[in-house]
Amino acid sequence: MITLRMEFKKIKRKKIGLTMCALICVQFAWLLWSGARPDENERLEGWIFMLYSLPLVSVIMMPTIMSVLASRLADVEHKGNTYKLLNTLRRPGSLYHAKVVCGILFILAVCAAQFLFIIALGYARGYAGHPEWKYYGTAFLMNFACCLSLYLLQLLLSMLFFNQMIPLVAGLGGSMLGLILMYVKMYSFLPWGGFLSAAQVSMDWNPDTRVVHFYYREYSPVELCAVAMIFVWIVVFYTAGRILFTRKEV
Amino acid sequence: MPTRNLVETHNLTKQYGKVRCVNSVNMQVPPGAIYGFLGPNGAGKSTTLKMILGLARPTEGGITLFDVPVNEKNRMKLLSQTGSLIESPSYYGHLTGEENLRIIQTLKGCSEKDIDKVLKIVRLDEARGKLVNHYSLGMKQRLGLAAALLGFPKLLILDEPTNGLDPAGIQEMRELICSLPGAYGMTVLVSSHLLSEIDQMADHVGIIRKGGLVYQDTLESLHAHSKEQIALRVSHTAIAFDLLRKDGIEVTQEGGWLLLPMMDDSHVANLCRELVAQNISLYRVEKREKSLEDIFLSLTGKESSL
Repeated sequence: MITLRMEFKKIKRKKIGLTMCALICVQFAWLLWSGARPDENERLEGWIFMLYSLPLVSVIMMPTIMSVLASRLADVEHKGNTYKLLNTLRRPGSLYHAKVVCGILFILAVCAAQFLFIIALGYARGYAGHPEWKYYGTAFLMNFACCLSLYLLQLLLSMLFFNQMIPLVAGLGGSMLGLILMYVKMYSFLPWGGFLSAAQVSMDWNPDTRVVHFYYREYSPVELCAVAMIFVWIVVFYTAGRILFTRKEV
Repeated sequence: MPTRNLVETHNLTKQYGKVRCVNSVNMQVPPGAIYGFLGPNGAGKSTTLKMILGLARPTEGGITLFDVPVNEKNRMKLLSQTGSLIESPSYYGHLTGEENLRIIQTLKGCSEKDIDKVLKIVRLDEARGKLVNHYSLGMKQRLGLAAALLGFPKLLILDEPTNGLDPAGIQEMRELICSLPGAYGMTVLVSSHLLSEIDQMADHVGIIRKGGLVYQDTLESLHAHSKEQIALRVSHTAIAFDLLRKDGIEVTQEGGWLLLPMMDDSHVANLCRELVAQNISLYRVEKREKSLEDIFLSLTGKESSL
């Protein structure tokens, strides 16, 4: 707990919270724009439409947000050459855990803000009924899991490289890749495609009637494997980061 | 087996690839000493200190701190009694000096009052609220020392603490280090590539060359290695050389000079009279001393950078 508390002391004046807010606001702007001024039919499918939009927004924005978060947390140590001091005060493993938990708390805040905004927006737009909490709860958990896997990957890169441009470029590249994956198919085994794999809502667009219909997906075995892959990535990136952090000589 | 030294290394070795940076070093730092770890750049000083602090894993050999062999389980407990400043100071530039020390104090688990004390010791109490990014290099170095002093550890490990400081800063740092054993009962292990610096600070010295410890003893003993000689410059060097040899004097020739072992004044006067009596003109008579620098160079090799 002490190491975690110090993690927050270290990032004082780094304005990480403000940076996260700014990036989240871009997502909010997107969500505000998409589905603005819904008609009666759209209001009926409003809540499910939000669950459809969320992974699309996340797949593009979250890799960048996670790379910024990890980079900011790791950079304070690189800039001040602090590992050689910290490693004489605390076990490297506990320092790594503090970084992971600190990141998790930020991710939880980002995901919670995202969901609160969606729900508030849905009510403000007058969507029919209420959100289906079972699906919204699952979406929150899967969104968090995808963000965590990306954060652990970015933390690994940020700790590995002194120059933080490399992990940041990787994060931006991940966002681009996610965008491309979105047009290929609704699942991917890559860490950046996790948001799509875990998406619960799919869309049926009739070109003749031009009517869009949203529905909850039935996962095929391959798609289920892609969802499971998100958790595999979490374990892989966490283990790799821990090994790197504890074995690295400074 | 219990030892009386605060730090002991046993055949400590570090190999990177095929290069042995540190080779079977057996360092012994007695309690209360200021141990000067001297060697040219790249000799293996920092690597040795990093291994003692657990920042680098030894390829071979072991370390004993406070009479206890260091292992992965007890490493943090033993290090809680040490303070360190390795190479350059560690700091968070976007925080103030006091905030930096508060983080280290909390992680070390020592008293909050220590922050005020160490800030006074390193004379940073007036700059405590300033962002460290706005500190000068000397101030950062002093902040690093303050961080190492937090908790007033038994052992202080300082790697080139005067690097980058101006002459006044060097003098100040030197005086501060010298005062630590007396004022706080600390043992200081300080490395440097400057002989004069160690000569002015340390009471024990270890000299490392190409990864191997080539000398280890008190500084007094090192000074005792300084050999005094009598040097003569004469008109007929070869004849004088033979004459002195016949008298049973261990004389050597060096650059047109005759070098004789140290002897009392009356003996020197007799020799001079004898040479003049043989029609050998005496140009100069000098007393020569092999300096500490000469000894250092002979131990570390003249090709090494100082």
